[in-house]
Amino acid sequence: MALRMTSRNTGSMLSFVLSRISLLHSHATSFGFKEVKEEEKSKLVGNVFSSVAQNYDLMNDLMSAGLHRLWKDRLVSKLSPFPGIKHLDVAGGTGDVAFRIIDTINSATRTTIQDGLEDEQQNETRVYVCDINPNMLNVGKKRAIERGLGEDPSLVWVEGNAEALNFKDDSMDGYTIAFGIRNVTHIDKALAEAYRVLKRGGRFLCLELSHVDMPIFKELYDYYSFSLIPAIGELVAGDRASYQYLVESIRRFPSQATFASMIAEAGFQKVEYENLVGGVVAIHSGLKF
Amino acid sequence: MYRSVVKCLFVLPSYINNTNRHFVFSPIITSNYSHFSTDSNTQPLSPPNPNNYQLHPEIKASSSSSSSSSSSSSSSSTAEGAASPHYETHSSKEEQRQRVEYQDEQACVLRASLHHVVRLGWTEAAMIKGARDVRVSPSIIGSFPRKEAALVEFFMDDCLQRLIDIIDSEELGNLIPSERISKLVQIRLEMQAPYISKWPQALSIQSQPLNITTSFKQRAMLVDEIWHAVGDQASDIDWYLKRTILGGIYSASEVYMLTDNSPDFRDTWAFLDRRVKDAFDLGKTLQEAKYLAEAVGAGMGNSVQGFMRRVFQG
Repeated sequence: MALRMTSRNTGSMLSFVLSRISLLHSHATSFGFKEVKEEEKSKLVGNVFSSVAQNYDLMNDLMSAGLHRLWKDRLVSKLSPFPGIKHLDVAGGTGDVAFRIIDTINSATRTTIQDGLEDEQQNETRVYVCDINPNMLNVGKKRAIERGLGEDPSLVWVEGNAEALNFKDDSMDGYTIAFGIRNVTHIDKALAEAYRVLKRGGRFLCLELSHVDMPIFKELYDYYSFSLIPAIGELVAGDRASYQYLVESIRRFPSQATFASMIAEAGFQKVEYENLVGGVVAIHSGLKF
Repeated sequence: MYRSVVKCLFVLPSYINNTNRHFVFSPIITSNYSHFSTDSNTQPLSPPNPNNYQLHPEIKASSSSSSSSSSSSSSSSTAEGAASPHYETHSSKEEQRQRVEYQDEQACVLRASLHHVVRLGWTEAAMIKGARDVRVSPSIIGSFPRKEAALVEFFMDDCLQRLIDIIDSEELGNLIPSERISKLVQIRLEMQAPYISKWPQALSIQSQPLNITTSFKQRAMLVDEIWHAVGDQASDIDWYLKRTILGGIYSASEVYMLTDNSPDFRDTWAFLDRRVKDAFDLGKTLQEAKYLAEAVGAGMGNSVQGFMRRVFQG
């Protein structure tokens, strides 16, 4: 009797476990509000960014009313880059963050040279821009040439996946991902990779569109993002679906606190986040030890 | 082969004083293909021209990225274990580095930064140097909300702790209170003597609006600690008076010290002694004034009483 009970128990437990496993293996993930297969998501995201690459910066300016520049400035000032930094900017195809980092270091060295930091460290600065999408990288490379950074050895363009980075363990001082982690299929994998490549004392910084909680502002923001942004996208970039995906994926992204706990689970310490514009974007930061 | 080469790469720098330069020669990107052998890893060790290998990392490749990356990471950790002898406490922690709390590491970085303050001042540059010394990525400096202020505040806390240790260990009991106070202030001020050329900068950092609350609190704690050491148990209005006066004396001596060129700051200590004596004299004067006021009050009271009595009688 008892034996049968146990066997039934194990049976039910087994079936429970199996159902969990089958759930895990169904590989359903979200693409905006749609449920899609995991393999498809990266392809779909790839399509989105291939189609928006050309108008990406113009659209960013329009959608955020130019605020995204300030957000990126804030991100870089939180990073506080220094001469000789090894930095990895993931999903930074158009180079916005990378250019800011290099500008900051260049302006900082002018003062620090007098302070005694040797010039040679300046030559060792490396900012790796990693993006999964070659179209975005091409836009970035073009802009680098326009800015006169085309020959700069400190700027390195790498095509790569945030979930499987081609960088060594403990090789980076900083890791930033601006408006990118939302599009990654497995956020936890990307975080684990970020933890792996960072040195002791290295910092993880993530700038991402997040959740607004303020009552009235939230309604305005929802109206703006669901009604106006797809319309702007259709008018300017001729691509409604991509911008529909954009706003939906923002809603699908975990809230500030949840995402912070995910970062902590990846092993980071001193995990903090800062809301900008009432939570429209949030900057999460973590420290590796 | 690869492992040993990588080990060379990582261990070698630890025996050379100027470590940071060599670290960056190691290629940063792990690689997936095998058309480049491990030889390209040795190349950085004999670099006549930096531009040659600067372009290598992203093109470079070797077999089986996962194994190469894991071996390099293990060798890098051993290299860190064999860090320079100055930081033995640090390297002993290395085994459980997953468990290390970031606060300890931050303190470690700040302590190392103090060595560079004399040359570089209370600046980010000093902190970057300090972080490199203890082989922590200088990126950590970004995690201090008020960068240079963190360094100054760390120094202030550290000095206070040292002062408390001295108070606990040393017998200052045979000195009279005024001497004990000036002795303690002198001990505390001597701690910042090595940084005297850069101390004005520290003061200016402390007086910035964002930092002033913390620096005020730290000074209050310091003064409080000194009064406790003297054995003061006051809990009335005197408490504030005493602390204000000692705070004034401390700050005045601190500023006097900045422009003091006498050997071993002799003038500063003389100045300090005079101020402390003045303060104690002031205390006495106040006491006397109080007695006087009481006496006068009593006298006045008597005469007023007498006057009133006469008025009412009349």
